[in-house]
Amino acid sequence: MSAITQEGPAVIAGPSPAPRRPAKRDSRKWLEIGLLAGPALIVFVGFVILPVVLAAVYSFFNWNGLTPLERFIGFDNYVRAFNDPVFTKAIGNNFIIAGASILIQGPLAILVALLLNRRMRGRTLVRAAIFVPYVLAEVIAGLSWKLLLSPRGGVNAALEAVGLGDLTQPWLANPEIALWVMFGILTWKYLGLAILLMLAGLQGVPQELSEAAAIDGAGWWQTQWNITVPLLGPTIRIWAFLSIIGSLQLFDMVWVTTKGGPIGATNTMAVYMIQYGQGQPGFGSAVAVILFFISLVIALFYQRYAMRRDLGSNAGRDE
Amino acid sequence: MMNKTRIIRVSAIAAATALTIGGLAACSPAESNDGDVTITWWHNATADPQKALWEEVAAEFEDDHPGVSVEVTGYQNEDLQRTLIPNALASGDAPDIFMVWPGGEVRSQAEAGHLKDLTSVLSDTIAELGATVNPWQVDGKQYALPYTFGIEGFWYNTELFSEAGISTPPTTLPELEDAVSKLKAAGTAPIAVGAADLWPAAHWWYQFALAACSTDTLKSAIPALDFSDPCWVEAGELLKDFVDTEPFQDGFLATTGQQGADSSAGLVANGNAAMELMGHWNAGQIGSLTPDQTVPEFLGWFPFVSVPGTAGDPTITMGGGDGFGVYKDAPDEAVELLKYIMSEDVQKRFAATGAGIPTHPGAIDSVTDPNLKLIAEGLAESSYVQLWLDSDLGPTFGTPLNQAIVNLMAGQGTPEDIVKTLEDTAAAL
Amino acid sequence: MTATTASAAPRRAGLWRQPLVYIVAATAIAVSVVPVLYVWVAGFRTNADLNANPAGLPDPWFLGNYANVLGSTRFWGSVFSSSLVAVGTTLGVVVLGITAAYVIARYTFRGRQGLYTFFAAGLMFPVTVAALPLSILLRDLGLNGTFIGLIIPQVAFALPVTIIILVPFLRAIPRELEEAAFIDGTSRLGFFWHIMLPLSGPGLITVGVLAFLGSWNGYLLPLLVMAAGGMPQDLWTLPLGVQQYSTQYSQDTGAVLAYTSLAMLPALAFFLFAEKRIVGGLAGAVKG
Repeated sequence: MSAITQEGPAVIAGPSPAPRRPAKRDSRKWLEIGLLAGPALIVFVGFVILPVVLAAVYSFFNWNGLTPLERFIGFDNYVRAFNDPVFTKAIGNNFIIAGASILIQGPLAILVALLLNRRMRGRTLVRAAIFVPYVLAEVIAGLSWKLLLSPRGGVNAALEAVGLGDLTQPWLANPEIALWVMFGILTWKYLGLAILLMLAGLQGVPQELSEAAAIDGAGWWQTQWNITVPLLGPTIRIWAFLSIIGSLQLFDMVWVTTKGGPIGATNTMAVYMIQYGQGQPGFGSAVAVILFFISLVIALFYQRYAMRRDLGSNAGRDE
Repeated sequence: MMNKTRIIRVSAIAAATALTIGGLAACSPAESNDGDVTITWWHNATADPQKALWEEVAAEFEDDHPGVSVEVTGYQNEDLQRTLIPNALASGDAPDIFMVWPGGEVRSQAEAGHLKDLTSVLSDTIAELGATVNPWQVDGKQYALPYTFGIEGFWYNTELFSEAGISTPPTTLPELEDAVSKLKAAGTAPIAVGAADLWPAAHWWYQFALAACSTDTLKSAIPALDFSDPCWVEAGELLKDFVDTEPFQDGFLATTGQQGADSSAGLVANGNAAMELMGHWNAGQIGSLTPDQTVPEFLGWFPFVSVPGTAGDPTITMGGGDGFGVYKDAPDEAVELLKYIMSEDVQKRFAATGAGIPTHPGAIDSVTDPNLKLIAEGLAESSYVQLWLDSDLGPTFGTPLNQAIVNLMAGQGTPEDIVKTLEDTAAAL
Repeated sequence: MTATTASAAPRRAGLWRQPLVYIVAATAIAVSVVPVLYVWVAGFRTNADLNANPAGLPDPWFLGNYANVLGSTRFWGSVFSSSLVAVGTTLGVVVLGITAAYVIARYTFRGRQGLYTFFAAGLMFPVTVAALPLSILLRDLGLNGTFIGLIIPQVAFALPVTIIILVPFLRAIPRELEEAAFIDGTSRLGFFWHIMLPLSGPGLITVGVLAFLGSWNGYLLPLLVMAAGGMPQDLWTLPLGVQQYSTQYSQDTGAVLAYTSLAMLPALAFFLFAEKRIVGGLAGAVKG
């Protein structure tokens, strides 16, 4: 997908349908563009861009949400956020989760997808089942895991039932492992989507290639590693992009399960924004803008360097 | 050839869209037509019996005042406090009567001009209610009235206490520490605390601050946001020493305060912990977490202990409550409704629901629960009632202060850090 | 769904792999579904039972929670409301998304790349940021407390993901088709209507399902628009409705579990119905 990149000069593929572009044609083209894209643009600008710009404006004020907006303080809110160790720790947590998603969830999803990518009994059942966690609302998923991981909850009970009682833990209470427990919960929730994405991508890998490799004597693993996975590249890169952005903006699951605790072990930027922005929407907006810029910078870098290769397949398509 | 059909098609779509939009907009609730005046009332009771009580009150008021209709809605407490009311006030379209939290919040709302001054219009009600109205005053003017108020103390399991050999509840800190060691020897978690929610743990520091600081310091430092007095650091040191005796249950950092069997209230309810420091509502809370959903027989209450060798007044207590205020643009009938809500009769019915301690002195006798009676007595006997410190300071202080306190309890912060957090937050205001 | 790859591989390549596959599949199913089943089963327990023994099986099996929820008008009102909002959002997202994506994918004009980037940047904004200004805006437009006041912002926030998925999908449709159509005298709009739309079916279903789920599970926007806007509680969406079981200090856990189990059913049903087509839809998207 050639998303946020610079376009090269227009390349016309083949004879164009109309030899000339009379002015009437052009203005009609713009009319159609306006008619088709207009509604989406209006709605988007009006209900997303406008409120967010307003929020960014608030970020330059010291405002308690109740009085008129009048105490302009420039970048003070931003400075305050970056000086707060709780916030910097939250940023760190976001990056750890983003990194862990790429390094752990990615390979796991690919592996499971490779294994499940065959005609097998109950294929629909499996695909439906692994997507179920994604369908479940975050609020509920958080609530159930909180119950399951509580000291006398299901997980500890199950461990004891199979004789692994030594491993029981106050899972979400231990600041050292809480972040990883949270990562486990997130994996449970979102791995299904990743696996489905990979499965979909595998649909595009031609069968003939693996068959040819097998005839040549390549083992299953060799085939996957050298042929299938590389062809899965574009899919992996898109999933990684969505996963990174999702990790940076993580809020719902953390808020419902731990609210960022214990002592900030599972804090994220968005959770910090809601908690510390209480009664001071100016400060909260500043944190939100910081969150936006971090996401944007990473997205731009990612598009430029990681997804560059995917442009080639599309270059000829652009007019 | 394409033009005509296309035009027809496009207009058909446009017409359909217009109808749909019109239909959807019409699905919004119609304006209330019966009566000249409509009063909107927002409260935080999402379940019966309290929700039913407010609805009855609204209906009775409507009957007594023909031409007036009351739209009363209960919202979940956190949503109301964090999102709904601040947004409503900011957008200039707030309900006529709504919950107003004491201390910092009523102060900022009043200073922004959102609340009606009730000092003269409800002067007799104010006089009836007595001292509990103070936390809702700003610069001597009354901006909201409380319907429930209570103080904090220890909720304890009388049976576990006697099994551990503790004959009377402790009254001083050394006695408390002694009780803690006896309970540990008997194999029970001495004190349950819900540090995951931050504020239940923070109340320990608040109480030590009350012990360390003189009443005058409290009265002046908090409005002035001046924390230079060494008593604030001393509070943290007292807390640290106490926490070092390991009086809490295992994993207290992730235990929630109120909800579920594994919360601190749940632990007390099921006999897995001997006591908990908590507000006046805890009886009902603990009751709802027992196997048979009634307040346990073994539940008792005693006030916070005094700390020898400190400057604080041992007879001051800390507490909080809920109240209603009136929006500045609300009709006069809203003030009448508030007066009715605060009337002795309604307060008696409130007390009968067991949802809390009423503020109206005439209704206190309607409180049946013996523990609530103890609390009401404790309230009456205190020389001064300090509002929960995080409420008094204001909404921006809550999270940073409570977090700093929990950090200390987790061994990751110092008493000075807590004061620094207070000073930093004050500076950013 | 096209044929898969390895099943046609020679048998010698891995008899050992078949059981492994089934083990992996079974594990995946178990891990995914067990926590959800837990919620379902726990709805059959009384609060007393839950408090005494958080991890156990119902003892006794208590139908009260489910009966309570199924019997309350508020639940059915919420089902109606959530359905109306979700269907409206999905329609809005699909219509606005496909038209905008079509423009970006198939028209050439200056600023096309910028338009795409503009929509994609919307992905970086969490809804929570826009909450306060959005509620003020809706109030000023008179849309507070209406269904449409909820649907439009939801559509707006769903557009970035929708366009990111649809644009490569539409780009993948061969130019030759378009040229052939033009030679036949079809206008751009005609091409869109008669050829493009049917071909992009799978992609539309994908974004439709994502939009439906996003709307079904959304909490903050409904809270602002419906709850604060004065819509009667019987018509609140399902996620809002669950809060009726949480008071200031406590929570009717059994009822909450029963309620949420029932609330997830329509979303689940919708997903199962569209499941086959989703994977096809995603295949088209990632191919681009």
